[in-house]
Amino acid sequence: MDSTQISRFSLFITFFSCILAFSFGDNSSSTDAHWLLRIKSKLVDPAGVLESWSLRAHICSWNGLTCSHDEAFVIALNLSASTLSGSIPTELWNLVSLQTLDLSLNLITGSIPPEIGRLRNLRTLLLFANNLSGKIPTEIGLLKKLQVLRIGDNMLAAQIPRSIGNLTELRVLGLAYSQLNGSIPAEIGNLKNLVFLDLQHNSLSGFIPAEIHNCEELQNFAASNNMLDGEIPASIGKLKSLQILNLANNSLSGSIPPEISGLSNLQYLNLLGNRLNGEIPWELNHLVQLQKLDLSSNNLSGTINLLNIHLQNLQVVVFSNNALTGSIPSNFCLKNSNLQQLFLAQNKLSGGFPLGLLNCSSLQQLDLSNNNLEGELPPTIDKLENLTDLLLNNNSFNGSLPPEIGNMSNLENLYLFDNMITGSIPVEIGKLQSLSTIYLYDNQMSGSIPMELTNCASLTAIDFFGNHFSGSIPETIGKLKDLVLLQLRQNDLSGPIPPSLGYCKKLQQLALADNKLSGSLPATFRFLSQLSTITLYNNSFEGPLPDSLYSLRNLKIINFSHNKFSGTILPLTGSNSLTALDLTNNSFSGSIPSRLAISTNLGRLRLANNLLNGSIPSELGRLKELIFLDLSFNNLTGEVPSQLSTCQKLQHLLLNDNHFTGKMPSWLGSLQDLGELHLSSNNFQGQVPAELGNCSRLLKLSLHTNNLSGQIPREIGQLTSLNVLNLQRNNLSGSIPPTIQQCKKLYELRLSENWLSGPIPSEIGKLTELQVILDLSRNLLSGEIPSSLGDLLKLERLNLSFNRLGGELPSSLGQLTSLVTLNLSNNHLRGQLPSTFSGFPPTSFSGNDKLCGPPLTSCMDSAGHENNILSSTAVVCIIVAIVFTSTVICLVMIYIMLRMWCNMRKVLISNSSEGGGNGIEQIKREDQERWMYGDEKKRKGEYWRVMSSMALVPSQNHDDHISSSCIFQVKMDTKKLGI
Amino acid sequence: MAPLAVISLSLCFLLPLLSPAISTNSEGNALHALRRRLSDPTNVLQSWDPTLVNPCTWFHVTCDSHNHVIRLDLGNSNISGTLGPELAQLQHLQYLELYKNDISGEIPKELGNLKNLVGLDLYGNRFEGEIPKSFSGLKSLRFLRLNNNNLTGSIPRELTALSNLKVFDVSNNDLCGTIPVDGPFGMFSMPSYANNMRLNGPELKGLVPYNFGC
Repeated sequence: MDSTQISRFSLFITFFSCILAFSFGDNSSSTDAHWLLRIKSKLVDPAGVLESWSLRAHICSWNGLTCSHDEAFVIALNLSASTLSGSIPTELWNLVSLQTLDLSLNLITGSIPPEIGRLRNLRTLLLFANNLSGKIPTEIGLLKKLQVLRIGDNMLAAQIPRSIGNLTELRVLGLAYSQLNGSIPAEIGNLKNLVFLDLQHNSLSGFIPAEIHNCEELQNFAASNNMLDGEIPASIGKLKSLQILNLANNSLSGSIPPEISGLSNLQYLNLLGNRLNGEIPWELNHLVQLQKLDLSSNNLSGTINLLNIHLQNLQVVVFSNNALTGSIPSNFCLKNSNLQQLFLAQNKLSGGFPLGLLNCSSLQQLDLSNNNLEGELPPTIDKLENLTDLLLNNNSFNGSLPPEIGNMSNLENLYLFDNMITGSIPVEIGKLQSLSTIYLYDNQMSGSIPMELTNCASLTAIDFFGNHFSGSIPETIGKLKDLVLLQLRQNDLSGPIPPSLGYCKKLQQLALADNKLSGSLPATFRFLSQLSTITLYNNSFEGPLPDSLYSLRNLKIINFSHNKFSGTILPLTGSNSLTALDLTNNSFSGSIPSRLAISTNLGRLRLANNLLNGSIPSELGRLKELIFLDLSFNNLTGEVPSQLSTCQKLQHLLLNDNHFTGKMPSWLGSLQDLGELHLSSNNFQGQVPAELGNCSRLLKLSLHTNNLSGQIPREIGQLTSLNVLNLQRNNLSGSIPPTIQQCKKLYELRLSENWLSGPIPSEIGKLTELQVILDLSRNLLSGEIPSSLGDLLKLERLNLSFNRLGGELPSSLGQLTSLVTLNLSNNHLRGQLPSTFSGFPPTSFSGNDKLCGPPLTSCMDSAGHENNILSSTAVVCIIVAIVFTSTVICLVMIYIMLRMWCNMRKVLISNSSEGGGNGIEQIKREDQERWMYGDEKKRKGEYWRVMSSMALVPSQNHDDHISSSCIFQVKMDTKKLGI
Repeated sequence: MAPLAVISLSLCFLLPLLSPAISTNSEGNALHALRRRLSDPTNVLQSWDPTLVNPCTWFHVTCDSHNHVIRLDLGNSNISGTLGPELAQLQHLQYLELYKNDISGEIPKELGNLKNLVGLDLYGNRFEGEIPKSFSGLKSLRFLRLNNNNLTGSIPRELTALSNLKVFDVSNNDLCGTIPVDGPFGMFSMPSYANNMRLNGPELKGLVPYNFGC
């Protein structure tokens, strides 16, 4: 809106109000009463704060109203925090004498209408904390006398009107917690009297206007949690009065301008959560009034050059989550420091524990976690006598915990996890009466847990996970009445659980897993009524569970797996909020309690490897959240209840190695999320249900060692994700369905020990990811082995033994270079084994009709045995050939000898017989080798191949090659000799 | 205003205090780190819940009886992203099957620490960079299939120390140099090296530099 328009409008308003003033004259308070009663009628007032508004009383006595001294005008209307709702009544704009309007902290809706510009006497306008929406009207700029404007904490959107720059009397401007967008208008620089500017929690973007430096009176500037970007204007350093500067959580970039050191009155500087880079300017040391400084979560680098000896008023310093390097300066602190909180976590600080900090005896909280600090903790650490929180986790500190730590009597939280601290816990720790949390996990500490630790009466959380603590849990642990978390997992603790642990009545999480603890659970555990997680796995606990555990109603996670517990599991079913129960590998007996079904959020139920008997209670079908059901390796009997079909989220169903009977349930096909189904080693009968083909996410299907009969359903091919299929040891008959080729991800396929017949479908060759094994042994399979099996290049084990396979062994099997184990024995195979099979033992091929070649007898032998007449002619041929070739060789040699002899005679004079000698030796050696091969018939596959090809196909390439190379060599030699 | 500011300050400190001290075993952490690197549009890694005691009940993960991970089967699973050094923490791993996916970046050299690895199938991805020399530390390795990737550089001669190597396939890459002839490399046939335009045939010791053409 241009200024002429505004001035015209304001002229009109002035004119209008003059007429109003004239027409109502000195009777204006009664006119106000008229408007106010209209206002009352329009506001929703559940608390009745407007009840006093009645013509029976004088207007100046009405609640929330203030009149002028002469009682002629209403000058203030204060209805703050009165639970008023409805929109702002238009009649309000007729109260032109109002100087103060306070409707803050109500539930008023609607927008702020442009008519607000009529209240030109307003000095204070407070509409904050309502549900106002819409935009801030431009006409707000007409309220020239306004000193305090607070309209934040509403749902006001759109931009801040530039007319706000007309409010030159303004001292307080509060627009926080709304949905304002656009940039901060540069006209804000016109507000010379502004002391307080709060723009926090909006969606303001763009730069911070450099003109802000004109607001010379500004003491508090807060624009945090917006989307401001660009650099911090250097001119901001001119705001000499500024005490608070909060620009946190924006997108400000660039470096922190050194000019900021001009803010000589600054007490609070917060720039956290921006994209500031570069070093922390040394000039910040000039901000001697600074009390709180937060530069965390930026990209600041370089070393810390800020010194507490300059900034003596500093109380809080937060530099966490930057890229600061180096160590903390040794002269960081003076003895009379006021520094209380120092947070330097998640940087790249290096060196040892900063001894420079030990002078900051005022320090209460110190966080150096997630840095690269190393070395031992100084024994003088107890100089930090006021410290309540010491966070040194995720560094590389080593050495032991200094006993002097017991002097830090105010210590509440001690975080030393993820370091390389060794040694034992000093007994002096027991002096720490305020200690609430002690996290020593992931270190190398050893020794026993000192009984003195249980003197720390305020302890709520102990985590010693992943150390080498030995000995027993202190018997006096029950003194820790406030203990909530006790985590001692993965140590070398032994002995029983002290009964006094049951007196830690606030305990919620107890983790003693992965130790060498023994004995039975103390009956005092019944007092742990708050307990929600108890993990005792991988220990040597034994004996029956105390019945009284049944009273623990808040248990959510129980893991007692891999112990020697015995008796019934009924005491663990008292809670109805179990989410995971794992008792794998114990000696629990009795039946599965149907009461487990009351924990309707149970997701994992694992009872494998116990001595449980009886049948699966049908009530388990109520466990709609069940993902994992493992009852394998028990003595369970009966049929699998059909009610389990309602556990539609089941991903793992493991019932193998029990005595289940009946048909294999077809409803299994409705479990769409099933990834693992193990029903093996039971007494299931009937067919493999075709419906299983619907479990398209199935990865492992194991039904082996049952009494299943009938054919393998062709629907098996629908299991396109399947990795493992094991149907061995059943009574399956018929042929292997060719659809199995669609199970392209199979890496393990076992169909052995059935009555499968017909040929091996050549489609199996398409299962190119088969790797672990293809086992079709001990069936009635017949026909030839399909040559496509040679495509299973990854296959490591192949077992086709004990079938009726016949015909020639396909040579393609020679491509199976990954094979480690091979068994083709006890079939009717014949033909020549591929040379790559020569390394397998003869038993791999035994019991066949006519297989030959290494490691079995050579095919020539077996061939000769059969056809005597043919072989005798072959022998004649060979003899003739040998005689012929040796004659040729002899002739050639004689020729060479002659040539050599001639040459020798020539060369003797020049005395160089070396090359010639070599030549002769070489020829001799080759000759010898050839004869050796000829004699040694059972030498190697390589040779055998050459010989056979020579015998059967006389003009083979190989032969040619040998002779040609011989000639070549001779030629070479003769050339050499010729020189 | 002032109290608000103090709250924002103290939040930084309180956050770590509130977080519980939960640590799982290193193999689960390593696999979970892998999951974070991978994009998994078909949710094959959905069951990988890091809060479980170990990863042995996660799908596509196989453990031995001591709950150590021995197989990772993520072949043909539509996953993309990169591998990281944390896989080296799977010290008992025997089979790493990540074939036929869209995994890119370099093959982490830390994989060379997997002393028990028998089969390493990374074929059919978009791996680039060199075959790590550290693979010479895979003392149990029998099957190494790196074919159909974008690998460059020469075949590390250090691999000749892999005395158990039975299958070696680097075909369809962009490797260069010559092919080692010692150790198990005497056994591999030419298809193992096919379609590497800059690979120059068997090593000719002393006559031609090993990295000839690189």
